[in-house]
Amino acid sequence: MTVSFAARRLGGTALVLWAVATIVFLAITAIPGDDLDAILGPGSNASEEAVARAIDTHGLDRPLIVRYWIQMMSLATFDWGVSFSYDAPVIDLIADQLPATLTLAFTSLGLALVIALLTSFISVYGALPWRILSTIEVVSAALPHFALAIVLIVVFSTWLGLLPPVSTDDPISLILPALTLAIPTAGFMGQVMRETMLDAMEAQFSLSARARGETMSGLYLRHLLRHAILPALTVAGWAFGSLMSGAVVVEAVFARQGIGRTLLTAVGVRDMPLVLGILIVIAAVYCLVTLIVDILSALIDPRVGT
Amino acid sequence: MLFSRRLSVLILVAALAGCGTGDTETEQTQPQRGGTLTFATADAEPTCLDPHVGGNMPQKIAGIHVMESLFTMTEEGELLPWLAESGVMSEDGMTWTVTLRDGIEFTDGTPFTAEAVKANVEHIQDPATESSTGYLALEHVDRVEAADPLTAIIHMTQPDVSLMESFAQTWLAMESPVALQRSMEENCTSPVGTGPFVIEEWRKQHSITYSRNESYSSAPATAGHEGPAYLDTLVLRFMPDASSRYAALQAGDVDVIDSAQPDTIAQAQAQDGQIRALIGVRSGASTRLELNTGGVTFSDPLVRQAFMIASDIDAGVETLFFGTVERSTSLVASTTPHGTSHDDAFVFDQDRANDLLDEAGWVLGSDGVRTKDGERLTVRIPVSTNQSIPAEQSLLEQIQAQAGQVGFEVTLEPMDLASWYAAAGAWEFDAITAPYGKSSPDVMRIIFHSDGIEPAPSGYHANNINVRNDELDSLLERANQDAAERGELYAQAQQIIIDGAYVLPLYDWQTRVLYRDDVAGLRLETNLSAPWFHEVWMK
Repeated sequence: MTVSFAARRLGGTALVLWAVATIVFLAITAIPGDDLDAILGPGSNASEEAVARAIDTHGLDRPLIVRYWIQMMSLATFDWGVSFSYDAPVIDLIADQLPATLTLAFTSLGLALVIALLTSFISVYGALPWRILSTIEVVSAALPHFALAIVLIVVFSTWLGLLPPVSTDDPISLILPALTLAIPTAGFMGQVMRETMLDAMEAQFSLSARARGETMSGLYLRHLLRHAILPALTVAGWAFGSLMSGAVVVEAVFARQGIGRTLLTAVGVRDMPLVLGILIVIAAVYCLVTLIVDILSALIDPRVGT
Repeated sequence: MLFSRRLSVLILVAALAGCGTGDTETEQTQPQRGGTLTFATADAEPTCLDPHVGGNMPQKIAGIHVMESLFTMTEEGELLPWLAESGVMSEDGMTWTVTLRDGIEFTDGTPFTAEAVKANVEHIQDPATESSTGYLALEHVDRVEAADPLTAIIHMTQPDVSLMESFAQTWLAMESPVALQRSMEENCTSPVGTGPFVIEEWRKQHSITYSRNESYSSAPATAGHEGPAYLDTLVLRFMPDASSRYAALQAGDVDVIDSAQPDTIAQAQAQDGQIRALIGVRSGASTRLELNTGGVTFSDPLVRQAFMIASDIDAGVETLFFGTVERSTSLVASTTPHGTSHDDAFVFDQDRANDLLDEAGWVLGSDGVRTKDGERLTVRIPVSTNQSIPAEQSLLEQIQAQAGQVGFEVTLEPMDLASWYAAAGAWEFDAITAPYGKSSPDVMRIIFHSDGIEPAPSGYHANNINVRNDELDSLLERANQDAAERGELYAQAQQIIIDGAYVLPLYDWQTRVLYRDDVAGLRLETNLSAPWFHEVWMK
């Protein structure tokens, strides 16, 4: 891992963030409706003075290209402006919501890794035919979060009465939303890990290890896991991005706080500064996670970081 | 004058009712103090808790526990005292004398006086407040004069007999004049009123926690209990998803939910178990399909009539809403005074619908759709998935199918709220359902007067039927200026709209609440039907 590698990555990250900001800006501009609706409430009948004041405060009378330039400059200087709808600084609103979403995303990622390790372990032991496991993994990887959430609520809350269906101040209420995000991710990770492990099991070193009298568990822990962890890490980086977007649905269904839910509200009312701010933060977190994954990969396998 | 006489009788009746009825369903136990109640609402989280800013339903649902109005209303739409004892209009309609209740304080210790009323009206009228609903309601108010501490004289620029009805809405609630002087951001986070609760904490995207106002003394005339609330704490949770909201109620994680689906209400009513239902009507316009006369399809009255009788709406409402709501044939909600029902105008008759369309010159094509001069008989209906519940969307699908049997090509266009407002604003519809809440028959002036065709500065127009009728305009204006003739004038106005076949009424716009049976004393504050927790206690 070299200095130029790090510099390239940082430059790349800046480029990604700029692209995200531009695309989001154009996308929101394309949503039908009026920015004034966002500020004064949809269908508002506010007075002309109020309208004039809102236009002036938020610079809505300027040409699109000027507004784009202002938005980009304020993003670059970390002055993220004031939310149209909440009339509060965007940075405060995000700071309020980000911890809840990160907690959810990291818990889900951890759960997904544990589940994927378990299924890959079962594969190696051959306790279940790999076709059945593979089918389960494919199905769970394809499960929509919304449907899965409802099934989990009906089973664990309504029928069994074990877990609260909505978020409470008790950390136990994190389980169902985290599971909702973890199960499809684990399905995807499990597939990748099992493939690598089964390949490794056929390899020369596995045969000689077994010949030395290594048990299956020993083989799994000391040899196969190391092989499976690299692709799992790469997938984890990707999965983190999908967890952040899955949070939009999960936070609404389980009535959790978070930037996913804030994003949903903000898009619905065309709150441009807030939408931009949240998406930039999500993109930045995603870039950061991929960066960490790449560094870890390079540490585990020196061939990566060149 | 009429108003004040009626009012004094009503005060008496309300006072008697207050001591007499109490709580009928929990006669076995006495109300007890304490406890926390959690109310999960489907309505969006307000972006500002001061209902003077903007002015929508979510603000009302969150604000009514903290900020109170000058008047309240009965389910029949009669005005009753709340923070004000009475409101009397002068002969010429150019002044209102409002007498206030004595000894009321805001929760920051500021006394509630005529000066406070003046400060609130000025706050709503100040452009910097960016008020919509309150601003419109005070359109004809010139200024407020504090004649003495308990007498506010409101000077008008033109008569408005519905002014006191407007003052019954939370969007014109009274806030501490001292608190109003803080920054907009601060006032949006923690508005100060005279209500039974004060805002303790607002966790954005999650909940608002309220605690009891220990010195509460301003219960409305409809209340069954004076003095401070029984509950220690009230929590308002924002829970947009219908299935998890109901699951949370079943699990006991929340005690009360709103926007319950008709099937779960029917289930709760049938089982008579742990969950009970409470349904109220939101005053203002009924839920209705308004036909845009500016388009090709509905410019012809024969086609409008045909569309109205082409679908069996009675049966659709009955089955899709599981008997929880009745079909309406009125332009306004059943709780809004001076509404008239027109059962005969909307009788299902597909044969007659076919005849009307034949007469209008629309010829049935081989694909089952009628055409005329190369135009197809299309009806575009934009559907806001934020505003229309699934049962309502299913009802529209039934109308689509049945109107299709006589040759209409109905397309439903589901969209988010922002796109829906854009489509409505651009007249990109032939028919539309648009809710409009207001605790006064004056709602008819807002949605049917030709002034409402001109878009507001934000691009939205309240009038969707696109009809300019001088007689109708004049009736609606006079009805809001002449208290004595009001009923007759509104009846004539409604007859014009019915005769023109501009609006297809469907059913009352409702507040649908489910609650656990350990919640006692829950009712809807009839001013727009919001759950009211002052009298609630936990068994």
